[in-house]
Amino acid sequence: MARKIPHTDVLITLMGAPHASDRTTSALRLTQSLLERGASVQVWTCGYATLLTQRALGPDKPRNLADWERAYPSTATLAEELLTAFPDRLYWYGCRFCSDDRGAFDHLPQVVLRPPAGYGANVAAADKTLLVGVI
Amino acid sequence: MTDQESGARVLAIVERGYRGALEKQFFDELYLATELHRQLGGLDILLRGPAVTYGLRADRVPPLRIGNRTVDTVSDPRPGLRALLEAGVTVWADEPDLAALGAAGNPDRLIEGVRIARDGELAVRWPEYDMVCFL
Repeated sequence: MARKIPHTDVLITLMGAPHASDRTTSALRLTQSLLERGASVQVWTCGYATLLTQRALGPDKPRNLADWERAYPSTATLAEELLTAFPDRLYWYGCRFCSDDRGAFDHLPQVVLRPPAGYGANVAAADKTLLVGVI
Repeated sequence: MTDQESGARVLAIVERGYRGALEKQFFDELYLATELHRQLGGLDILLRGPAVTYGLRADRVPPLRIGNRTVDTVSDPRPGLRALLEAGVTVWADEPDLAALGAAGNPDRLIEGVRIARDGELAVRWPEYDMVCFL
C-alpha cells in the first residue's frame, strides 16, 4: 500500500550537492525560519544531498588540525536536531535511488527513503514546493 | 613584487566563493590552501569572481540557528584569508571583478595585505609558476 504523505505547507527539495554552493545552507536557514513561524515543512533530498543524513560521521565532523578542541557538528546532527526541535511539523525524505547510487546508507532513523516515482505524492502533499539547486 | 620575488611555485585561483558553509565548516578552500602552501613550496592566491569579496573587510559570519542549537562554526573566509597572509601567502584580488561588485577604487576596503591585480596581470605570469590551479 502506498505510503500516506502528511500534508505540509512547504516542500523543500534539495537537489544540489551540499558542497557546490551555499544553497543548502540557505535552504536549512529557510526551513528553520518557516518552522519558527509555525509552518509545517518536508525536506526531500536528491543526489549528493542524500548524504546529509548519513550517520557514518557520528555527531561531529573530523577534528580540525588548526583548532583541535573545537567541535563541528555533522550535518546528520543538524538534521536530527531540527527534527527533534519541531516534531510533527518537519518531515525528512530522501530519494532512495540517489542514496543507493552514491553508496549512502545508515541514515537517521527519522529519514524516510522514497522511490523516485513517489516524488509526485510529496509534491501533492505540499501547498508550495521549492526546488533548490540542480542535480 | 613579482611572483618570482614571492618565490611561490603555485598559483591557486579561487573563483567560486561561498560553498557549503554549513557542510564544510572549517575545511573550506582556504583551509586546503594553507596545507598546499606548506606542502608545495609556496602559494600565491588570486581571488576572482564572487570570491573577490573574501578580500574585503567585513564582520564575522554570524551564527546560525538550527533546531535548538546555535551553530557558530560555519565557514568564514576572512579569518582563513588572514591565516594565509600570516603564513606568507601573497593574495591578489582581481580588479575587474572588484569593480563589477562596486568594490574597486577604494583600497581601504581591502583586508590589509591583499593586493589588487589589474586585468590580465596574473594571466601573463602563468608560465612563471610550476602549477596553476583552481581551488
